[in-house]
Amino acid sequence: MTDMDVDTPPHDSGAAAPVVPKPVSKPAPKPAQSGTATGQATCPRIEIKKWNAVALWSWDMESDVCAICRNNNMELCIECQADQDAKVNNNCSIAWGICNHAFHFHCISRWLKNRNSCPLDNREWDYQKYGN
Amino acid sequence: MSASLRRLLKELQNTQREPSGEIASLAPVDDNNLLKWRAVLRGPRDSPYEGGWFELRIDIPEQYPIQPPTLVFVTPVCHPNVHFETGEICLDILRTQWSPAWTLASTCLAVQVLLANPEPSSPLNCDAANLLRCGDVVGYNSLVRLYTRLYAQSLTTDLH
Repeated sequence: MTDMDVDTPPHDSGAAAPVVPKPVSKPAPKPAQSGTATGQATCPRIEIKKWNAVALWSWDMESDVCAICRNNNMELCIECQADQDAKVNNNCSIAWGICNHAFHFHCISRWLKNRNSCPLDNREWDYQKYGN
Repeated sequence: MSASLRRLLKELQNTQREPSGEIASLAPVDDNNLLKWRAVLRGPRDSPYEGGWFELRIDIPEQYPIQPPTLVFVTPVCHPNVHFETGEICLDILRTQWSPAWTLASTCLAVQVLLANPEPSSPLNCDAANLLRCGDVVGYNSLVRLYTRLYAQSLTTDLH
């Protein structure tokens, strides 16, 4: 922000701390005058009138859908989704294997009774972490 | 609605959204029963099955996807790993190597890939397997082409 030749009102330029430029609409006539007074360096090229910050986030996981029930890992598993008021829902968390694959704990524990392998890479399953 | 039915419903929505070129159709036999599906596979290109349409019956257990579905060819298929009379398929992912990460669509795709990649060491059709085991690829290909022409080409009309 500060690298740009931004038309900054004089009372703002003194305070270095605020990164967010204040709307220049109110003191509009001032910068034009100060620009001509100090020379070409302050000549405004871009004038920022408004800006919005946008941030994205994602979980550090290979896949965000549980490969067993196909519900998102952030949601309840497909069993718990059916009875929303059941007490077990409190424990519907995510489990990671040592292979770094994540599933709902309920889903992976149902599968492990069948065969002790990761559904995605077929390697022997061991819990790496459990819970949120 | 049980967990297996809810997952099957998701799969149905996905197959309707993303139709595949290899799988000509994949849908429940009727709207009231999600545990019985029907699939039609296209014979793989550059294989003696090319040009054929192969119908499969899919029976899904209540414990799906923890338990694998049962896939059986309805169209007679001449293939070392398919029983010619019952349509039974010998494929590890349908039994010991099943994983709940498979879907009905990916399982059908695996069966379609099996058509072009026979495994003659574990045969359900010894005659077909023996041709490959003694290296008679020409004989095998023409036998398969004959059966494909005989049984697998009439489906095209009732697909549309």
